[in-house]
Amino acid sequence: MKLTSLEQLQKIKEQGLKRAYPEKIKIMVGMATCGISAGADKVYRALEDKIAARKMDVALEKTGCIGFCQQEPLVDVIYPKKVRVSYATMTPAKAEALVESLHSGKFFGENVLCRIDQEEFLIEGTTKAYANPHPPELPGDIPKYEELPFFKKQVKIALRNCGYIHPERIEEAIGRGGYATLYKVLTAMTPEEVIAQVKASGLRGRGGAGFPTGVKWEFCRKAEGDLKYIICNADEGDPGAFMDRGILEGDPHAVIEGMAIGAYAIGASQGYIYCRAECPLAIQRLQIAIQQAEDLGLLGDNIFGSGFSFKLKIRKGAGAFVCGEETSLIASIEGKVGEPRPRPPFPAQSGLWGKPTIINNVKTWSHIAPIIARGAEWYAGYGSEKAKGTTVFALVGKVNNTGLVEIPLGISLREMIFEIGGGIAGGRAFKAVQTGGPSGGCIPEEFLDTPVDYESLGALGSIMGSGGMIVMDERDCMVDVAKYFIDFTRDESCGKCTPCREGTLRLMEMLEDITAGRGQEGDLDKLEKMSGIIKKTSLCGLGQTAPNPVLSTLKYFRDEYEAHIWAKKCPAKVCKELITYRVDADKCNGCQLCRLKCPVEAIQGAKKVVHEVLQDKCIKCGTCFEKCKFDAILVE
Amino acid sequence: MVGDPGELTVTFSQQPRSVDPDKCTGCGVCIEACPIRYEVQIPPEEEAKARSAYAQAVDETAVAGIISQYREEPGNLLPILLDINSHFNWLPRPALEHVSRELGSPLSEILRVASFYNAFSLVPRGQHIINVCLGTGCFVKGSPRILEELERKLGLKHGQTTEDMLFTLEVVRCIGCCALAPAMRVGEDTFGRLTPGQVGKIIDSYTKTANL
Repeated sequence: MKLTSLEQLQKIKEQGLKRAYPEKIKIMVGMATCGISAGADKVYRALEDKIAARKMDVALEKTGCIGFCQQEPLVDVIYPKKVRVSYATMTPAKAEALVESLHSGKFFGENVLCRIDQEEFLIEGTTKAYANPHPPELPGDIPKYEELPFFKKQVKIALRNCGYIHPERIEEAIGRGGYATLYKVLTAMTPEEVIAQVKASGLRGRGGAGFPTGVKWEFCRKAEGDLKYIICNADEGDPGAFMDRGILEGDPHAVIEGMAIGAYAIGASQGYIYCRAECPLAIQRLQIAIQQAEDLGLLGDNIFGSGFSFKLKIRKGAGAFVCGEETSLIASIEGKVGEPRPRPPFPAQSGLWGKPTIINNVKTWSHIAPIIARGAEWYAGYGSEKAKGTTVFALVGKVNNTGLVEIPLGISLREMIFEIGGGIAGGRAFKAVQTGGPSGGCIPEEFLDTPVDYESLGALGSIMGSGGMIVMDERDCMVDVAKYFIDFTRDESCGKCTPCREGTLRLMEMLEDITAGRGQEGDLDKLEKMSGIIKKTSLCGLGQTAPNPVLSTLKYFRDEYEAHIWAKKCPAKVCKELITYRVDADKCNGCQLCRLKCPVEAIQGAKKVVHEVLQDKCIKCGTCFEKCKFDAILVE
Repeated sequence: MVGDPGELTVTFSQQPRSVDPDKCTGCGVCIEACPIRYEVQIPPEEEAKARSAYAQAVDETAVAGIISQYREEPGNLLPILLDINSHFNWLPRPALEHVSRELGSPLSEILRVASFYNAFSLVPRGQHIINVCLGTGCFVKGSPRILEELERKLGLKHGQTTEDMLFTLEVVRCIGCCALAPAMRVGEDTFGRLTPGQVGKIIDSYTKTANL
């Protein structure tokens, strides 16, 4: 059925709400890639089998990731008209126990993460309450969702539906306000009005560069051309980032609706989503979502009978980091080698097949519908004076709470890491936070009160980037981290321009020498000089930002470089050539565990006799250090 | 060419086939102009192995099917290569020649694209492709040690395939499971929160299913 009126959309919405909030008990399992790799599929199967065995009338559903990946697999139970409870780190055994307790009409009290008393319907600006009044069987000490430090400071706009809807059911997305904004745009707004709203909201490109979205759209609207294109950049190549994957797996319709609105605003009728092939589940859910939107006439010809037509296709990436750069991405969609070209002309004037093209990131697209629905002023109310709205970060590394977080711009790095992230795991000391992936830099402790926005992070020699935030502790060697990123950009450099192709290779060689104890006087000056040249002379963003990890670590952690060069020591005890493993004779009780676990038989010693590490055989894999229960292995 | 039809005199001019090192300035212009510059040089024995592997998996109809699916689409080379790559697990040379004929684009251009993107393999790969994530999140949580353990266990370096063609070990720059780092993927299955001690068991579980 093709929808042509608001009444028809309303009908689907009612169906969706009935499906999403049934009269019976509903169990939801977070089944994004992160959940599945933590074992959510096994939990789902256990739930399914047990429910069937008990012949219970319970709705079992899949959903996207609510963001708290650390606590995966997450299972949510909606006790109808009472409360929604989130259960963390579930196992198949616990899942069975959960069903048993539901079967006997009891509240399941183990593995409880939090209770959700109400849900926000962001697009409509309303809330749906579960618990009113407080159900008596629920223990009083369960924390509320909004009280958990991980969620407390988050504002979910792009992630509004992730973890709340079944991502493969369009009616549930519509139930929570999806596609109503598209209807409003097509029936009651001119393209200029849409662009004006986006401009006024202050939304800037969330892919990293931060170009004002509305301004870019205006360029493209005004560009001459019978044919224009819309592209969604979902080539999330940054290592350590999974925001786009999270959105596409949890709420693909947010992106599709945003793109349709954007297409109307600039006058395009064809769109592409360029998604990296390493995210197969995201592609699969997008395919389903596009098909369902086409079936309802929300994509295709004459949408809502308005005369506006928009078609959407998925293009799979083939594993090239440089294709995240817009001109490379366009070349890749054209079926060519993904090499960048100089700008101008910018894609907004001459892009895909030479036609005016708008490229925005997944996160940017998913902000569009809420901005139009609630108004630019509402959106600009979030964030700081300089940077409006919210953005999504993948908070990972050595923090206690890892996951996907959406925060208003302008909150400090300290709040991100120590409040939302819950501090450093294992009680170790914080060393640095890395933002912006291979284009960004490492920020040390003294700048932790810096607000998270484009300019402030840029001033520190990092960038905001697309949203990877990797926290490092005292056990991370900053020279090794710089080497890691340079190795990445060296590998991913497309080879078209010399500074990037050859320069990153030379940087890599120098860093390899330093970490292997072959560093010399003058190396650091050479690193700095070479980095400066690469930054100034490279063709595209990849090369222009590639030296940032080196420059920022040189600036803030120069002492670590010097220790490698002069003392031939790695202070964090990471660089293999500069460390040795030794047995502490006072602590070793000769338990043999390390000897048995050593992969190369480099440890000798009889039972109850102090062991010895044979240095000529040792490959410094660190297995003995980790396995020893008595801290008897020393790293020096 | 001079003369009339039936009585033509044709002069061939053959250009030099080698580079004179005394005159070469290394400007690179010839590299740009060379039509076979992106031809990947595969050793003869590898090439023979590759052809026989393709012959065993005679599947020209599959390639034809893939091409026809995208024939009308502009910019169809990448989707076609991706599908062939996932069908065979690699890109057999005869299949690329087939694509070249059908699309009417030179093999050198196709090889250029095929050798540019990481997803494509020009040599046969194992039944299970192991992707160890070396994204930053996994890197700081110790994925290099997971990789080392796998290299030891399988007795090869990353990028290589085991003799029995069961496993190919590759590295990937982020599979988006950063919050469950370190992670790896075997075929379609993703494993998170790994320790070096676990990987051996995971590999064994695949060896066992293969032997059944």
